[in-house]
Amino acid sequence: MAMENPNESIARAPLPTEKTLKQRKNLPIQFMRFCAINLKMIRMIRKGHHPMERKVK
Amino acid sequence: MARVVILGAGVAGHTAALHAKRMLGKGNEIIVISPNSKYNWIPSNIWVGVGRMSAEQVTFPLAPVYKRQGITFHQALAQEIHPEGNATTDSGYVKVTYTDATHSGEVANIEYDFLINATGPKLNFAATPGLGPDGHTVSVCTFGHATEAAKSLQEVISLMKTGKRQAIAIGVGHGTCTCEGAAFEYTFNVEHELRSAGVRELADITYITNEYELGDFGVGGLVFSQAGFQTTSKLWTESLFRERGIMAILGAHVEKIEPGVVHYELVDGTKALLNFDFAMLLPPFRGVDLKAFDKVGNEISDKLFAPSGFMKVDADYSGKPYEEWLASDWPKTYRNPLYLNIFAVGIAFAPPHQISKPRKSPNGTLIAPSPPRTGMPSGIMGKLAIISINELIKNGPTATVGTASMADMGAACVASAGSGLRVGSAASMTMYPVVPDYVTYPNTGRSVDDTFGEIGLAGHWIKLALHYMFIYKAKARFGWFLIPE
Repeated sequence: MAMENPNESIARAPLPTEKTLKQRKNLPIQFMRFCAINLKMIRMIRKGHHPMERKVK
Repeated sequence: MARVVILGAGVAGHTAALHAKRMLGKGNEIIVISPNSKYNWIPSNIWVGVGRMSAEQVTFPLAPVYKRQGITFHQALAQEIHPEGNATTDSGYVKVTYTDATHSGEVANIEYDFLINATGPKLNFAATPGLGPDGHTVSVCTFGHATEAAKSLQEVISLMKTGKRQAIAIGVGHGTCTCEGAAFEYTFNVEHELRSAGVRELADITYITNEYELGDFGVGGLVFSQAGFQTTSKLWTESLFRERGIMAILGAHVEKIEPGVVHYELVDGTKALLNFDFAMLLPPFRGVDLKAFDKVGNEISDKLFAPSGFMKVDADYSGKPYEEWLASDWPKTYRNPLYLNIFAVGIAFAPPHQISKPRKSPNGTLIAPSPPRTGMPSGIMGKLAIISINELIKNGPTATVGTASMADMGAACVASAGSGLRVGSAASMTMYPVVPDYVTYPNTGRSVDDTFGEIGLAGHWIKLALHYMFIYKAKARFGWFLIPE
Protein backbone atom coordinates (compact mmCIF):
# COMPACT_ATOMS: atom_id res chain seq x y z
CA MET A 1 0.00 0.00 0.00
CA ALA A 2 1.37 3.41 -0.95
CA MET A 3 2.16 5.87 1.82
CA GLU A 4 0.22 9.10 2.14
CA ASN A 5 2.09 12.00 0.60
CA PRO A 6 3.35 13.86 3.71
CA ASN A 7 3.18 17.17 1.88
CA GLU A 8 -0.59 16.80 1.52
CA SER A 9 -0.80 16.29 5.27
CA ILE A 10 1.44 19.33 5.84
CA ALA A 11 -0.81 21.41 3.57
CA ARG A 12 -3.77 20.55 5.83
CA ALA A 13 -1.93 21.37 9.09
CA PRO A 14 -3.03 24.43 11.11
CA LEU A 15 -1.34 27.57 9.87
CA PRO A 16 -0.51 30.07 12.64
CA THR A 17 -2.21 33.42 12.25
CA GLU A 18 -0.32 36.70 12.05
CA LYS A 19 -1.34 37.33 15.66
CA THR A 20 0.19 34.03 16.78
CA LEU A 21 3.39 34.69 14.86
CA LYS A 22 3.66 38.16 16.41
CA GLN A 23 3.07 36.73 19.87
CA ARG A 24 5.92 34.28 19.29
CA LYS A 25 8.27 37.27 18.85
CA ASN A 26 6.70 39.69 21.32
CA LEU A 27 9.34 40.46 23.94
CA PRO A 28 7.10 40.87 27.05
CA ILE A 29 5.02 37.80 26.15
CA GLN A 30 8.10 35.76 25.40
CA PHE A 31 9.75 36.84 28.64
CA MET A 32 6.73 35.49 30.51
CA ARG A 33 6.86 32.30 28.44
CA PHE A 34 10.60 32.05 29.18
CA CYS A 35 9.82 32.04 32.91
CA ALA A 36 6.90 29.62 32.52
CA ILE A 37 8.83 27.15 30.34
CA ASN A 38 11.76 27.24 32.72
CA LEU A 39 9.46 26.36 35.60
CA LYS A 40 8.04 23.45 33.61
CA MET A 41 11.56 22.28 32.81
CA ILE A 42 12.69 22.56 36.42
CA ARG A 43 9.75 20.35 37.38
CA MET A 44 10.79 17.89 34.68
CA ILE A 45 14.42 17.95 35.78
CA ARG A 46 13.37 17.19 39.35
CA LYS A 47 11.33 14.24 38.13
CA GLY A 48 14.18 13.15 35.88
CA HIS A 49 16.68 13.10 38.71
CA HIS A 50 14.43 11.51 41.26
CA PRO A 51 15.01 7.90 40.19
CA MET A 52 18.61 8.09 41.39
CA GLU A 53 17.32 8.13 44.93
CA ARG A 54 15.91 4.64 44.47
CA LYS A 55 18.32 1.82 44.96
CA VAL A 56 18.39 -1.86 44.13
CA LYS A 57 20.54 -4.78 45.22
CA MET B 1 41.84 2.94 47.17
CA ALA B 2 39.87 2.31 44.00
CA ARG B 3 40.70 3.29 40.46
CA VAL B 4 37.79 4.40 38.30
CA VAL B 5 38.49 4.52 34.57
CA ILE B 6 36.07 6.41 32.33
CA LEU B 7 36.14 5.84 28.57
CA GLY B 8 34.92 8.95 26.76
CA ALA B 9 34.63 12.63 27.63
CA GLY B 10 31.28 13.57 26.14
CA VAL B 11 28.20 14.51 28.13
CA ALA B 12 27.98 11.13 29.94
CA GLY B 13 31.70 10.52 30.46
CA HIS B 14 32.63 14.08 31.42
CA THR B 15 29.69 14.36 33.82
CA ALA B 16 30.76 11.06 35.40
CA ALA B 17 34.36 12.26 35.72
CA LEU B 18 33.49 15.53 37.47
CA HIS B 19 31.04 13.87 39.86
CA ALA B 20 33.55 11.07 40.53
CA LYS B 21 36.13 13.52 41.77
CA ARG B 22 33.53 15.34 43.87
CA MET B 23 31.81 12.26 45.35
CA LEU B 24 34.53 9.68 45.66
CA GLY B 25 36.92 12.10 47.32
CA LYS B 26 40.60 11.70 48.02
CA GLY B 27 42.08 8.25 48.09
CA ASN B 28 40.41 7.13 44.88
CA GLU B 29 41.92 7.65 41.46
CA ILE B 30 39.86 8.93 38.54
CA ILE B 31 41.17 8.40 35.02
CA VAL B 32 39.53 9.65 31.82
CA ILE B 33 40.52 8.17 28.47
CA SER B 34 39.35 10.01 25.36
CA PRO B 35 40.84 10.22 21.87
CA ASN B 36 39.74 13.87 21.68
CA SER B 37 41.62 16.73 23.30
CA LYS B 38 38.53 18.96 23.46
CA TYR B 39 35.11 18.87 25.04
CA ASN B 40 32.36 19.65 22.52
CA TRP B 41 28.93 20.89 23.60
CA ILE B 42 27.29 19.09 20.71
CA PRO B 43 23.78 20.64 20.91
CA SER B 44 25.27 23.97 19.79
CA ASN B 45 26.96 22.43 16.73
CA ILE B 46 23.72 23.31 14.93
CA TRP B 47 24.68 26.99 15.25
CA VAL B 48 28.25 26.28 14.10
CA GLY B 49 26.74 24.55 11.06
CA VAL B 50 25.00 27.75 9.95
CA GLY B 51 27.90 30.05 10.86
CA ARG B 52 26.26 31.62 13.92
CA MET B 53 28.90 30.26 16.30
CA SER B 54 32.56 29.35 15.88
CA ALA B 55 34.06 26.00 16.79
CA GLU B 56 35.87 27.75 19.67
CA GLN B 57 32.55 28.77 21.20
CA VAL B 58 31.34 25.18 21.49
CA THR B 59 34.59 23.54 22.61
CA PHE B 60 37.34 23.87 25.21
CA PRO B 61 40.49 21.85 26.00
CA LEU B 62 39.88 19.02 28.47
CA ALA B 63 43.40 18.72 29.91
CA PRO B 64 43.41 21.98 31.97
CA VAL B 65 40.02 21.18 33.50
CA TYR B 66 41.11 17.67 34.49
CA LYS B 67 44.43 18.99 35.84
CA ARG B 68 42.58 21.51 38.03
CA GLN B 69 40.20 18.81 39.25
CA GLY B 70 42.93 16.27 39.99
CA ILE B 71 41.67 13.85 37.33
CA THR B 72 44.22 11.93 35.26
CA PHE B 73 43.63 12.39 31.54
CA HIS B 74 44.95 10.10 28.82
CA GLN B 75 44.32 11.36 25.31
CA ALA B 76 44.04 7.92 23.83
CA LEU B 77 41.73 5.59 21.97
CA ALA B 78 40.47 2.59 23.94
CA GLN B 79 40.74 -0.52 21.77
CA GLU B 80 40.40 -3.55 24.02
CA ILE B 81 38.80 -4.37 27.35
CA HIS B 82 40.27 -7.25 29.36
CA PRO B 83 37.77 -7.54 32.25
CA GLU B 84 39.50 -10.60 33.76
CA GLY B 85 43.06 -9.32 33.36
CA ASN B 86 45.62 -11.64 31.78
CA ALA B 87 48.26 -14.21 32.77
CA THR B 88 50.18 -11.67 34.84
CA THR B 89 47.37 -9.71 36.52
CA ASP B 90 43.89 -10.47 37.82
CA SER B 91 42.91 -6.82 37.52
CA GLY B 92 40.75 -5.73 34.59
CA TYR B 93 42.46 -3.39 32.18
CA VAL B 94 41.90 -1.39 29.03
CA LYS B 95 44.40 -1.42 26.18
CA VAL B 96 44.71 2.04 24.66
CA THR B 97 46.61 3.74 21.85
CA TYR B 98 47.60 7.35 22.47
CA THR B 99 46.43 10.04 20.05
CA ASP B 100 48.16 13.14 21.43
CA ALA B 101 51.11 14.60 19.53
CA THR B 102 53.71 13.59 22.14
CA HIS B 103 52.79 9.91 22.51
CA SER B 104 50.92 9.27 19.26
CA GLY B 105 50.80 5.58 18.43
CA GLU B 106 52.13 4.39 21.80
CA VAL B 107 50.17 1.56 23.42
CA ALA B 108 49.46 1.11 27.14
CA ASN B 109 47.42 -1.12 29.43
CA ILE B 110 45.47 0.84 32.06
CA GLU B 111 44.11 -1.20 34.95
CA TYR B 112 40.81 -0.41 36.65
CA ASP B 113 38.67 -1.41 39.60
CA PHE B 114 35.57 0.14 38.02
CA LEU B 115 35.10 0.93 34.34
CA ILE B 116 32.55 3.32 32.85
CA ASN B 117 32.04 2.93 29.11
CA ALA B 118 30.86 6.33 27.87
CA THR B 119 32.44 6.15 24.44
CA GLY B 120 29.41 7.49 22.60
CA PRO B 121 28.78 6.38 19.03
CA LYS B 122 30.86 5.57 16.01
CA LEU B 123 29.54 7.81 13.22
CA ASN B 124 28.82 5.07 10.73
CA PHE B 125 28.97 7.01 7.47
CA ALA B 126 30.18 3.81 5.78
CA ALA B 127 26.69 2.29 6.14
CA THR B 128 25.47 4.43 3.23
CA PRO B 129 27.72 4.76 0.17
CA GLY B 130 28.49 8.40 -0.56
CA LEU B 131 27.31 9.66 2.84
CA GLY B 132 29.29 12.17 4.86
CA PRO B 133 32.18 14.60 4.54
CA ASP B 134 34.27 11.98 2.69
CA GLY B 135 31.35 11.48 0.31
CA HIS B 136 28.90 14.01 -1.08
CA THR B 137 27.08 15.38 1.99
CA VAL B 138 27.97 17.46 5.04
CA SER B 139 27.35 16.69 8.71
CA VAL B 140 27.00 18.61 11.99
CA CYS B 141 27.94 15.68 14.26
CA THR B 142 31.30 17.17 15.28
CA PHE B 143 32.45 20.78 15.51
CA GLY B 144 34.82 20.12 12.58
CA HIS B 145 32.01 18.74 10.44
CA ALA B 146 29.76 21.66 11.41
CA THR B 147 32.43 24.20 10.44
CA GLU B 148 32.67 22.61 6.98
CA ALA B 149 28.86 22.53 6.72
CA ALA B 150 28.73 26.29 7.37
CA LYS B 151 31.26 26.91 4.58
CA SER B 152 29.23 24.79 2.13
CA LEU B 153 26.04 26.57 3.13
CA GLN B 154 27.65 29.95 2.50
CA GLU B 155 28.66 28.80 -0.99
CA VAL B 156 25.04 27.84 -1.71
CA ILE B 157 23.79 31.18 -0.37
CA SER B 158 26.30 32.99 -2.59
CA LEU B 159 24.95 31.15 -5.63
CA MET B 160 21.39 32.05 -4.66
CA LYS B 161 22.42 35.69 -4.41
CA THR B 162 23.32 35.48 -8.09
CA GLY B 163 19.74 34.33 -8.77
CA LYS B 164 20.44 30.58 -9.04
CA ARG B 165 17.76 28.32 -7.54
CA GLN B 166 19.15 25.70 -5.16
CA ALA B 167 17.82 22.40 -3.81
CA ILE B 168 18.59 21.72 -0.15
CA ALA B 169 18.18 18.29 1.45
CA ILE B 170 18.47 17.87 5.21
CA GLY B 171 17.71 14.84 7.31
CA VAL B 172 19.07 11.40 8.11
CA GLY B 173 21.19 9.27 5.85
CA HIS B 174 20.01 5.75 6.72
CA GLY B 175 16.87 3.89 7.75
CA THR B 176 18.17 3.18 11.25
CA CYS B 177 19.44 6.64 12.19
CA THR B 178 18.73 8.41 15.46
CA CYS B 179 18.96 12.12 16.42
CA GLU B 180 16.13 13.19 14.10
CA GLY B 181 15.74 16.18 16.44
CA ALA B 182 19.14 17.49 15.34
CA ALA B 183 18.19 17.14 11.66
CA PHE B 184 14.93 18.98 12.42
CA GLU B 185 16.89 21.78 14.12
CA TYR B 186 19.33 22.13 11.27
CA THR B 187 16.50 22.24 8.71
CA PHE B 188 14.85 25.21 10.41
CA ASN B 189 18.12 26.98 11.17
CA VAL B 190 19.09 26.78 7.50
CA GLU B 191 15.65 28.05 6.50
CA HIS B 192 16.06 30.92 8.99
CA GLU B 193 19.51 31.78 7.58
CA LEU B 194 18.18 31.80 4.02
CA ARG B 195 15.44 34.22 5.04
CA SER B 196 18.00 36.40 6.82
CA ALA B 197 20.13 36.42 3.67
CA GLY B 198 17.09 37.41 1.57
CA VAL B 199 17.26 34.33 -0.67
CA ARG B 200 14.59 32.08 0.83
CA GLU B 201 12.39 32.14 -2.29
CA LEU B 202 15.24 30.63 -4.31
CA ALA B 203 15.56 27.54 -2.11
CA ASP B 204 13.61 24.27 -2.23
CA ILE B 205 14.15 22.72 1.20
CA THR B 206 13.30 19.05 1.74
CA TYR B 207 13.49 17.21 5.05
CA ILE B 208 14.17 13.50 4.44
CA THR B 209 13.79 11.18 7.41
CA ASN B 210 13.27 7.61 8.54
CA GLU B 211 10.42 8.80 10.82
CA TYR B 212 7.05 7.43 9.69
CA GLU B 213 5.36 10.65 10.80
CA LEU B 214 6.66 14.16 11.39
CA GLY B 215 7.22 14.87 15.09
CA ASP B 216 8.21 11.27 15.86
CA PHE B 217 11.79 12.28 16.85
CA GLY B 218 12.67 8.64 17.48
CA VAL B 219 10.49 8.53 20.59
CA GLY B 220 7.25 7.56 18.88
CA GLY B 221 5.96 11.15 18.92
CA LEU B 222 4.42 13.02 21.80
CA VAL B 223 0.91 13.79 22.98
CA PHE B 224 0.47 16.92 25.04
CA SER B 225 -2.19 19.36 26.09
CA GLN B 226 -2.41 22.78 24.45
CA ALA B 227 -5.16 25.41 24.73
CA GLY B 228 -7.52 22.95 26.38
CA PHE B 229 -7.00 20.14 23.86
CA GLN B 230 -4.77 17.12 23.60
CA THR B 231 -2.65 17.51 20.49
CA THR B 232 0.21 15.58 18.91
CA SER B 233 3.75 16.46 18.00
CA LYS B 234 2.80 15.33 14.45
CA LEU B 235 0.21 18.07 14.00
CA TRP B 236 2.41 20.58 15.75
CA THR B 237 5.45 19.79 13.58
CA GLU B 238 3.41 19.72 10.36
CA SER B 239 2.15 23.18 11.24
CA LEU B 240 5.73 24.43 11.50
CA PHE B 241 6.62 22.81 8.15
CA ARG B 242 3.61 24.51 6.54
CA GLU B 243 4.46 27.88 8.07
CA ARG B 244 8.07 27.72 6.84
CA GLY B 245 7.31 26.13 3.46
CA ILE B 246 9.44 23.01 3.93
CA MET B 247 8.68 19.73 2.13
CA ALA B 248 9.09 16.33 3.72
CA ILE B 249 9.92 12.78 2.70
CA LEU B 250 8.98 10.35 5.47
CA GLY B 251 9.68 6.69 6.18
CA ALA B 252 12.80 6.82 4.03
CA HIS B 253 15.93 4.69 3.99
CA VAL B 254 18.74 6.43 2.10
CA GLU B 255 20.41 3.73 0.00
CA LYS B 256 23.26 5.69 -1.51
CA ILE B 257 24.33 9.17 -2.43
CA GLU B 258 25.87 10.19 -5.69
CA PRO B 259 27.01 13.75 -6.47
CA GLY B 260 23.84 15.83 -6.25
CA VAL B 261 21.46 12.86 -5.91
CA VAL B 262 20.06 10.97 -2.91
CA HIS B 263 18.76 7.48 -3.74
CA TYR B 264 16.14 6.39 -1.24
CA GLU B 265 13.54 3.73 -0.55
CA LEU B 266 10.26 4.32 1.27
CA VAL B 267 8.47 2.04 3.73
CA ASP B 268 6.04 1.05 0.95
CA GLY B 269 8.96 -0.18 -1.18
CA THR B 270 8.90 2.76 -3.62
CA LYS B 271 12.36 3.86 -4.75
CA ALA B 272 13.01 7.44 -5.79
CA LEU B 273 15.64 10.14 -6.20
CA LEU B 274 16.09 13.49 -4.50
CA ASN B 275 18.30 16.01 -6.26
CA PHE B 276 20.31 18.42 -4.14
CA ASP B 277 22.84 21.21 -4.33
CA PHE B 278 23.49 21.12 -0.57
CA ALA B 279 22.77 18.14 1.68
CA MET B 280 23.27 17.63 5.39
CA LEU B 281 22.39 14.06 6.28
CA LEU B 282 23.19 12.55 9.66
CA PRO B 283 24.85 9.13 9.77
CA PRO B 284 23.56 6.08 11.64
CA PHE B 285 25.34 5.26 14.88
CA ARG B 286 26.97 2.04 16.01
CA GLY B 287 29.19 1.18 18.93
CA VAL B 288 32.83 2.21 18.72
CA ASP B 289 35.42 -0.35 17.63
CA LEU B 290 36.08 -1.80 21.06
CA LYS B 291 36.83 -5.50 21.54
CA ALA B 292 36.78 -7.59 24.70
CA PHE B 293 38.97 -10.56 25.70
CA ASP B 294 38.94 -13.06 28.57
CA LYS B 295 41.88 -13.95 30.78
CA VAL B 296 43.47 -16.35 28.30
CA GLY B 297 43.00 -14.01 25.36
CA ASN B 298 39.84 -15.43 23.76
CA GLU B 299 37.62 -12.77 22.25
CA ILE B 300 34.39 -12.28 24.22
CA SER B 301 33.10 -9.19 22.40
CA ASP B 302 29.79 -10.91 21.64
CA LYS B 303 29.23 -11.39 25.38
CA LEU B 304 29.88 -7.76 26.29
CA PHE B 305 28.43 -6.07 23.24
CA ALA B 306 25.21 -6.30 21.22
CA PRO B 307 25.52 -6.82 17.43
CA SER B 308 25.17 -3.04 17.09
CA GLY B 309 28.47 -2.66 18.95
CA PHE B 310 26.82 -1.02 21.97
CA MET B 311 27.48 -2.54 25.40
CA LYS B 312 24.98 -4.88 27.03
CA VAL B 313 23.68 -3.75 30.41
CA ASP B 314 20.80 -4.79 32.69
CA ALA B 315 18.15 -4.63 29.93
CA ASP B 316 15.95 -7.32 28.41
CA TYR B 317 17.69 -8.30 25.17
CA SER B 318 15.49 -11.33 24.49
CA GLY B 319 14.42 -9.79 21.19
CA LYS B 320 10.69 -10.06 21.77
CA PRO B 321 8.38 -8.46 19.18
CA TYR B 322 7.94 -4.70 19.29
CA GLU B 323 4.27 -5.06 20.32
CA GLU B 324 5.27 -7.04 23.43
CA TRP B 325 7.94 -4.80 24.89
CA LEU B 326 7.49 -3.14 28.23
CA ALA B 327 8.96 -0.07 29.86
CA SER B 328 10.48 -2.44 32.43
CA ASP B 329 12.70 -3.94 29.69
CA TRP B 330 14.86 -0.82 29.82
CA PRO B 331 18.02 -0.81 31.95
CA LYS B 332 17.99 0.65 35.43
CA THR B 333 21.54 0.36 36.76
CA TYR B 334 23.57 0.32 33.48
CA ARG B 335 25.81 -2.45 34.87
CA ASN B 336 27.10 -5.13 32.55
CA PRO B 337 25.49 -8.39 33.73
CA LEU B 338 28.71 -10.43 33.30
CA TYR B 339 31.13 -7.97 34.86
CA LEU B 340 29.36 -5.94 37.51
CA ASN B 341 32.24 -3.46 37.83
CA ILE B 342 31.63 -2.30 34.25
CA PHE B 343 28.96 0.32 33.50
CA ALA B 344 27.84 1.62 30.09
CA VAL B 345 26.14 5.02 29.97
CA GLY B 346 24.87 7.51 27.40
CA ILE B 347 24.84 6.34 23.80
CA ALA B 348 27.28 3.53 24.67
CA PHE B 349 24.68 1.22 26.23
CA ALA B 350 22.65 -1.06 23.98
CA PRO B 351 18.94 -0.15 24.03
CA PRO B 352 16.68 -3.22 24.27
CA HIS B 353 14.43 -2.12 21.39
CA GLN B 354 13.26 0.86 19.37
CA ILE B 355 10.78 3.32 20.90
CA SER B 356 9.35 4.28 17.49
CA LYS B 357 7.65 1.39 15.76
CA PRO B 358 10.15 -0.36 13.45
CA ARG B 359 8.92 -1.06 9.93
CA LYS B 360 10.19 -3.11 7.01
CA SER B 361 9.63 -2.28 3.37
CA PRO B 362 8.31 -5.04 1.05
CA ASN B 363 11.93 -5.37 -0.07
CA GLY B 364 12.94 -6.28 3.49
CA THR B 365 14.65 -2.97 4.27
CA LEU B 366 14.49 -2.05 7.95
CA ILE B 367 13.29 1.53 8.48
CA ALA B 368 13.37 2.13 12.20
CA PRO B 369 14.47 5.26 14.06
CA SER B 370 16.83 4.27 16.88
CA PRO B 371 16.07 5.57 20.38
CA PRO B 372 17.80 8.83 21.31
CA ARG B 373 19.78 8.66 24.58
CA THR B 374 21.76 11.88 24.53
CA GLY B 375 21.74 15.09 26.56
CA MET B 376 19.92 15.08 29.85
CA PRO B 377 19.48 11.27 30.13
CA SER B 378 23.18 10.80 29.31
CA GLY B 379 24.24 13.18 32.07
CA ILE B 380 21.94 11.49 34.57
CA MET B 381 23.31 8.05 33.68
CA GLY B 382 26.90 9.31 34.08
CA LYS B 383 26.13 10.68 37.54
CA LEU B 384 24.19 7.53 38.45
CA ALA B 385 27.19 5.31 37.66
CA ILE B 386 29.30 7.33 40.09
CA ILE B 387 26.62 7.19 42.81
CA SER B 388 26.59 3.41 42.41
CA ILE B 389 30.39 3.08 42.37
CA ASN B 390 30.52 5.20 45.54
CA GLU B 391 28.18 2.72 47.23
CA LEU B 392 30.20 -0.24 45.96
CA ILE B 393 33.47 1.24 47.21
CA LYS B 394 32.01 2.01 50.64
CA ASN B 395 29.93 -1.12 51.18
CA GLY B 396 31.47 -3.77 48.96
CA PRO B 397 30.12 -5.75 45.99
CA THR B 398 26.77 -6.52 47.63
CA ALA B 399 25.95 -2.84 48.16
CA THR B 400 22.73 -1.42 46.81
CA VAL B 401 23.14 0.70 43.69
CA GLY B 402 21.11 3.55 42.22
CA THR B 403 18.63 3.25 39.37
CA ALA B 404 17.66 5.66 36.59
CA SER B 405 15.61 3.93 33.91
CA MET B 406 14.72 6.01 30.86
CA ALA B 407 11.20 4.68 31.45
CA ASP B 408 11.21 6.53 34.78
CA MET B 409 13.09 9.62 33.66
CA GLY B 410 11.89 12.82 32.06
CA ALA B 411 13.72 14.88 29.49
CA ALA B 412 13.67 18.48 28.43
CA CYS B 413 14.59 19.26 24.84
CA VAL B 414 14.93 22.61 23.11
CA ALA B 415 15.11 22.31 19.32
CA SER B 416 16.36 25.50 17.70
CA ALA B 417 14.39 26.79 14.73
CA GLY B 418 16.52 29.87 14.09
CA SER B 419 19.09 32.01 15.86
CA GLY B 420 18.91 35.64 16.97
CA LEU B 421 18.16 37.36 20.30
CA ARG B 422 15.08 39.13 18.88
CA VAL B 423 14.21 37.04 15.84
CA GLY B 424 15.25 33.53 16.86
CA SER B 425 12.87 30.74 17.76
CA ALA B 426 12.93 27.24 19.13
CA ALA B 427 10.58 24.40 19.95
CA SER B 428 10.73 23.76 23.70
CA MET B 429 9.60 20.27 24.65
CA THR B 430 9.44 18.18 27.77
CA MET B 431 8.43 14.55 28.01
CA TYR B 432 7.88 12.22 30.89
CA PRO B 433 8.95 9.49 30.74
CA VAL B 434 11.35 9.30 27.78
CA VAL B 435 10.44 5.65 27.17
CA PRO B 436 6.64 5.38 27.10
CA ASP B 437 5.14 3.37 29.94
CA TYR B 438 1.76 2.06 28.78
CA VAL B 439 1.17 0.29 32.11
CA THR B 440 1.28 3.54 34.11
CA TYR B 441 -0.07 5.79 31.33
CA PRO B 442 -2.36 3.51 29.27
CA ASN B 443 -3.55 6.10 26.74
CA THR B 444 -0.43 7.82 25.51
CA GLY B 445 2.41 6.10 27.37
CA ARG B 446 3.41 9.40 28.94
CA SER B 447 2.06 11.87 31.46
CA VAL B 448 0.13 14.42 29.39
CA ASP B 449 0.56 16.99 32.17
CA ASP B 450 4.35 16.64 32.09
CA THR B 451 4.70 16.42 28.32
CA PHE B 452 4.48 19.70 26.51
CA GLY B 453 5.68 21.65 23.50
CA GLU B 454 5.79 25.33 22.55
CA ILE B 455 7.39 27.35 19.76
CA GLY B 456 8.67 30.87 20.20
CA LEU B 457 11.51 33.28 20.87
CA ALA B 458 11.57 32.19 24.53
CA GLY B 459 12.78 28.77 23.39
CA HIS B 460 15.76 30.35 21.66
CA TRP B 461 16.67 32.23 24.84
CA ILE B 462 16.45 28.96 26.78
CA LYS B 463 18.68 27.12 24.31
CA LEU B 464 21.21 29.96 24.44
CA ALA B 465 21.09 29.99 28.26
CA LEU B 466 21.59 26.21 28.31
CA HIS B 467 24.62 26.61 26.00
CA TYR B 468 26.41 28.96 28.40
CA MET B 469 25.20 27.14 31.53
CA PHE B 470 26.36 23.69 30.42
CA ILE B 471 29.73 24.91 29.15
CA TYR B 472 30.19 26.64 32.54
CA LYS B 473 29.29 23.37 34.25
CA ALA B 474 31.56 21.29 32.00
CA LYS B 475 34.46 23.63 32.81
CA ALA B 476 33.83 22.78 36.49
CA ARG B 477 33.58 26.43 37.46
CA PHE B 478 32.46 27.54 40.93
CA GLY B 479 29.24 25.76 41.98
CA TRP B 480 29.08 23.65 38.77
CA PHE B 481 27.48 20.72 40.57
CA LEU B 482 24.43 22.85 41.45
CA ILE B 483 23.50 22.88 37.76
CA PRO B 484 21.43 19.74 37.10
CA GLU B 485 22.33 17.30 34.33
